[in-house]
Amino acid sequence: MTGVVFEGLWKSFGAVEALRPVDLAIASGEFVSLLGPSGSGKTTLLNLCAGYVEPSGGRILIDGRDITGLPPRRRNMGMVFQSYALFPHMDVAGNVAYGLQVRGLAREEIRRRVAASLAQLQLEGLARRPVRALSGGQQQRVALARALVIEPDILLMDEPLGALDRQLRRDVQLEIRRMHVARPRTTLYVTHDQEEALVMSDRIAVMRAGRVVQIGTAQALYAEPADTFVARFLGESNLLPGRVTAIEAGRAVLAGSAGPIVGRAAPGLAVGAAAAALIRPEHVHERTGGLAARVVERVFLGEITALRLALGDGTTLWSRRLGFVSPPAEEVEISWNDGDVVILPEAI
Amino acid sequence: MRRSLALDAFAGAVAAFLVLPILAIVPVAFSAGSFVRLPPLAWSLRWWAAFRADPAWLHALLTSLEVAALGGLLAVLTGTAAALGLARLPARARLLATGLFVGPLVAPVIVLAVGLYALARSFGLVGSIAGLVLAHAMLAVPYVALTVGVSLAALDPRLALAASGLGAAPWRIFRTITLPLILPGIAGGAVFAAVTSFDEVVLAIFLSGPAVKTLPVLIWEQVRVEFTPLVTVAATVMIVLAILGAVLGRLLGGERAQ
Repeated sequence: MTGVVFEGLWKSFGAVEALRPVDLAIASGEFVSLLGPSGSGKTTLLNLCAGYVEPSGGRILIDGRDITGLPPRRRNMGMVFQSYALFPHMDVAGNVAYGLQVRGLAREEIRRRVAASLAQLQLEGLARRPVRALSGGQQQRVALARALVIEPDILLMDEPLGALDRQLRRDVQLEIRRMHVARPRTTLYVTHDQEEALVMSDRIAVMRAGRVVQIGTAQALYAEPADTFVARFLGESNLLPGRVTAIEAGRAVLAGSAGPIVGRAAPGLAVGAAAAALIRPEHVHERTGGLAARVVERVFLGEITALRLALGDGTTLWSRRLGFVSPPAEEVEISWNDGDVVILPEAI
Repeated sequence: MRRSLALDAFAGAVAAFLVLPILAIVPVAFSAGSFVRLPPLAWSLRWWAAFRADPAWLHALLTSLEVAALGGLLAVLTGTAAALGLARLPARARLLATGLFVGPLVAPVIVLAVGLYALARSFGLVGSIAGLVLAHAMLAVPYVALTVGVSLAALDPRLALAASGLGAAPWRIFRTITLPLILPGIAGGAVFAAVTSFDEVVLAIFLSGPAVKTLPVLIWEQVRVEFTPLVTVAATVMIVLAILGAVLGRLLGGERAQ
């Protein structure tokens, strides 16, 4: 099992800086998602790792070995493309067997491993089916089987669930997670879907404009986002803008239009800088003696109900509660715990 | 959609104008008379017997088929290689290079013929199979390069990336992924090249000699001497073979559309 290290890896296409120098270490057997909007450089990083794109500078190390100059075929990585890129002139078994045939394995060995791989991904019975005749979900599985059967040191996936419908996507997410837990394999997973990243990853690297903004576990990113961009990208968030008036002992005070808000200070926060207070909707409670607010919207989402609340100055906040909230009073009083609030720098 | 009788009639007239001169040849080939006359006064197979009996006709037909086959093969190899090379060029260079490759399609054939004649003379290729093969291959390379180019453009570039990620070296990727997927384009180009050569007369007139002449050249020479129904037999043979080629090309092209 093998880990990957990116050292100052960067790439520009002409004048466009697709990826600014990235330093990132992925441990052996770790599942890391690259999460970001389109154009954030996540696919470029993946293609650099696979060897499909040559870096403008920096190094890629596998087990301390520099592989930056190696062509894709010598990297032993399994790639799952967004479009699957299945070979249209071969059947399912032919696609899965390809990487093994290239490696010159014995016919019997290939047959055995292809069969095992198809069984693992519940594709038995489809071996002789042309790939064009498969559903999107089945094609996705074939693409995964083809990448896994070669026992890659590193598994790379580029938004592999993008083409599936919502229900199937959820099932496959959990399935990929279970497979990973059962047999951990160093995995780099590109997605713009926060839920996908949350469900599957050991760690998530949030990317924006060619930069890794923050990397950490899902819980860490959710509880302690580095800036307002990360806060917006992961989970639902209320961000109340303002200026930092004081920082002391890891706590900061933010002066905003709704009054001063106290919370934990995120790293890199400076007094006088533009910042925002992050209050997650599940932390906004109704409490007598709190801030006066008016309910302007109520959205029933199944297991939870979301309320949009307007404070006296016009600032609006979302509040989420478990269960069904019967039409509440127009006027409520709300508050939150200072311990649940984080004061974040505005994303640059 | 509402159909218009007038439009149908017009379309029919255009089709007749295009096809009738070709079809008019066929009945004459079955004439019993000694002159080309439409419609023939009586029917017979005598001109077919005459065609079979004269070794010059059979020889010309075989020469045509040989030149078409060899010229087509040469054009397919060269044109496919050209298409693969063109596909790898950056966009602007590709446009320029493609322009050069389709040059033979744009240049007046008589200009090509004069130039080739001069060249072939200095290499001693006039009146040889090799000269005809080279000339026809030159004419057909653009067709092959274009049809294969269309197939290549439709090829998902990620397939080659996927194959290389699975460990395949470039030559293996070409053999197992690229080639099978562009094969319909290559086959279509091959048929086109062969048909082009089979039909070609201008270059062939310049490059044929007493011993080596293609069927169209012999037809041309015969018509100038005496215009008998024998010529229309040769023409009918050509039409049938050309239609077979076109149908074959269509079938291969249909496979590509799948």
